[in-house]
Amino acid sequence: MGVLDGVRVLTLEQVHALPWGTSFLADFGAEVIRVESVDHMQDRRSGPFPDGQPSEEWWNEGGALAYFGTRNKSSLCLEVVHPKGKEIFLKLVKSSDVVTDNFRPGTMRRFGFDHESLLEVNPRIISLSCTAYGHTGPWRRAGSRARTVDAACGLSYLTGYEGGPSVRASSNYMDHSAGNNVAYAIMLALYNRERTGKGMRIDLSMQETGVSAIGPAALEAQRDITRPRLGCGHIWKSPHNIYPCLGEDRWIAIAVSTDSQWRSLKRAMGSPEWAADGRFDTIEGRWHDRHELDELLGVWTSDQDQEELMLHLQQYRVPSGAVFTAEELASNPHLRERGYLQEFYNDHAPQAGVRTYAGRPFQARLMPLEIKHVAALGEDNWRILRVLGELSEEEIGSLAEEGVVSDRPKADEPAP
Amino acid sequence: MLGILDDVKVVELSGSLSGAYCAKLLADQGAVTIKVEPPNGGDPARMEPPFITEEPDPDGSSLFLAFNTNKRSVTLDVGRPEGRRVFLRLVQNSDVMIESYAPGYLEDIGLGYTALLEANPRLILTSLTYFGQTGPYSSFVGSDLVAQATGGFLHAVTGSADRPPMGTALEQMEITAARNGAIATLAALMHRKQTGEAQHIDVSTMEAAVSTPSGLIHPYSFTGRSPKRGGSDGNVMDGMHLFTKDGEVTLTTAGTGGRPMEAWAEFLEEPGLLDPKFASRRGRMENWEELYGLVAPKLAQWNNLDLMEATMARGLVIGLVQNPQQVVRSPHLNERGALVEIDHPVNGPMLYAGPGFLMDGVNPMEGSIPTPRLGEHNEQVYCQELGLSIVELENLQEAGII
Repeated sequence: MGVLDGVRVLTLEQVHALPWGTSFLADFGAEVIRVESVDHMQDRRSGPFPDGQPSEEWWNEGGALAYFGTRNKSSLCLEVVHPKGKEIFLKLVKSSDVVTDNFRPGTMRRFGFDHESLLEVNPRIISLSCTAYGHTGPWRRAGSRARTVDAACGLSYLTGYEGGPSVRASSNYMDHSAGNNVAYAIMLALYNRERTGKGMRIDLSMQETGVSAIGPAALEAQRDITRPRLGCGHIWKSPHNIYPCLGEDRWIAIAVSTDSQWRSLKRAMGSPEWAADGRFDTIEGRWHDRHELDELLGVWTSDQDQEELMLHLQQYRVPSGAVFTAEELASNPHLRERGYLQEFYNDHAPQAGVRTYAGRPFQARLMPLEIKHVAALGEDNWRILRVLGELSEEEIGSLAEEGVVSDRPKADEPAP
Repeated sequence: MLGILDDVKVVELSGSLSGAYCAKLLADQGAVTIKVEPPNGGDPARMEPPFITEEPDPDGSSLFLAFNTNKRSVTLDVGRPEGRRVFLRLVQNSDVMIESYAPGYLEDIGLGYTALLEANPRLILTSLTYFGQTGPYSSFVGSDLVAQATGGFLHAVTGSADRPPMGTALEQMEITAARNGAIATLAALMHRKQTGEAQHIDVSTMEAAVSTPSGLIHPYSFTGRSPKRGGSDGNVMDGMHLFTKDGEVTLTTAGTGGRPMEAWAEFLEEPGLLDPKFASRRGRMENWEELYGLVAPKLAQWNNLDLMEATMARGLVIGLVQNPQQVVRSPHLNERGALVEIDHPVNGPMLYAGPGFLMDGVNPMEGSIPTPRLGEHNEQVYCQELGLSIVELENLQEAGII
């Protein structure tokens, strides 16, 4: 029983941002039908595979499929570029609430699936296109990667080690932000339709999602205020950085923002003589001499265990945290106790066995979310085509023979 | 304003960016949102540099201005009994409360979820904290950097492999927590419409950080290796930033039909790129300095916007590494109406980022209300809506409660 029970979403999605977004809808109970094509197997090829080894039925095995790709979704492997595939797709639109895509602008029109065409079939339809730069404006035809969107929105320019060049903020942060925005925008549209009876067309831009995440800098830019790159530093707080700990590539983050936190940190260090220096008594003084302060603090942290030091500093109410690796997070006692991590066995990937997945960063008693099912390629072909497509077994059989409907990759698709 | 959520009333009691941004996401879609600030100086973010006003000013902080559009501001000391009573009346008039205090604090001042439900059994409570309401770290103090550290982002994502961990700019973990909080809150509103039941949503910024990269936990679980930062180190064609005449750019090998070096050699008119040693990704990484030496001087001849247009025409995929000035002046974003102008009484008209999507071609934030001044709506909310008399309001003001 989910809050989006009864909502049907048809999604033509690839790669990351949109599949991530629709996975929220699927978690909330929507029937999300991922319409796949045997000509575009890249998401099913992308892994990660158990111990790096794809097995014979590799296309149902990847960890990213379970984390978001076909998580709690259905899979209909239907060639919508084929006239019969197109006809079936439009028939499904009739009984759907939402159609989403992340093709470049123009592709849906070419298929005959643009918003106006969908409206003719279903006047209450909500459509969402998730693209790099949106459907209008001079950059609408530009291709992208998540990294290029981090760049174009201003975030990467502001990111970098102190005094150094700009660095790509992330390989795919904007995929996830845009995906979160997809989920939010579609839920808004559903909320709106409940109130007004009307669907809508949503033109979601990854770049603009990124701009919304640099709101303060966008205002500063209009007054010619520039932000320096400071690595893990802060524009007015100090000490605010990461500091070396015992072992290779081990660090702790410490983020002091008030005088009282600084006094707590001094007590936690056993009030060393250097820390009594009057220059460090004020926010301004600490920031001015932050490099010296960072170095002195780093000497103190360098022979300590990062996790023990975090626990110690937290006893003194100093904002601090160990720099954890994925391995440490997978067994982290806090995340375990909160039930954030999920052990999941994908029925379609017996070779993978039970694997660990991250959960959603929110918990709500009446809306428990988890991975329940991961759709195999074309797993729901028959059910969807019979029930929603109202096709006979013979018709479906001949579609399969023609290659319009499939449940496995093409014979010449090489293993990843 | 499109105002999809204009039948939703939100009260925000938070001193954190995640709480403010979560409430903003609802307010920007029309939710009638009251921001409750401490009478003495208001939300601390009001005094966070840098300032749009030249001098520090509670209405000039860019951080505060950006993340509090479309809200009304009242002042109230909820820690005092009279303040608590007034706050519960606000709660009675609300559908959603957004807060970001340390777990347990609201119980301590008599405003725990049970007490709030007594005042309003339909109240949805969304709490955004660094480590969540439960678990061994729940009492820990945090920050965006601490969330990037404990959430695995610092180790894995942004910096160089041979340098210390480094994170992304501008408190992105708080923002991600807020986005998740808004999704969950909207879902809870739908749930309440269907069942009448309200609930408490517990958002963790540390967990938001874990969920932010394409995967930390499951890639480790599948391969036994922890993802580590450094993906763009020495990666001229697929990660590094390179200088142009008036800015920076990042290239990709996408859109080249599997023949990236041929496509880029032709585009940049640099036959040196066809050297077989650059043919594979590995070869390009091993000889990156030489490759950089060939590519950089060619790119340095281009202006950003011309380069974007020319590569687009060829189907090549690049990203302009735009600075915020270039972003707000972007012809593309301006043609789309991605930014909206809001006229603030102190700062005048400025362009504010929209939500990232257009609905039926319209930016839902068109016609937004400016970020409120401290206590700007005291009289409107307390007298006109809660029915306090002017004298009662003045008495509470004199007592320092409002």
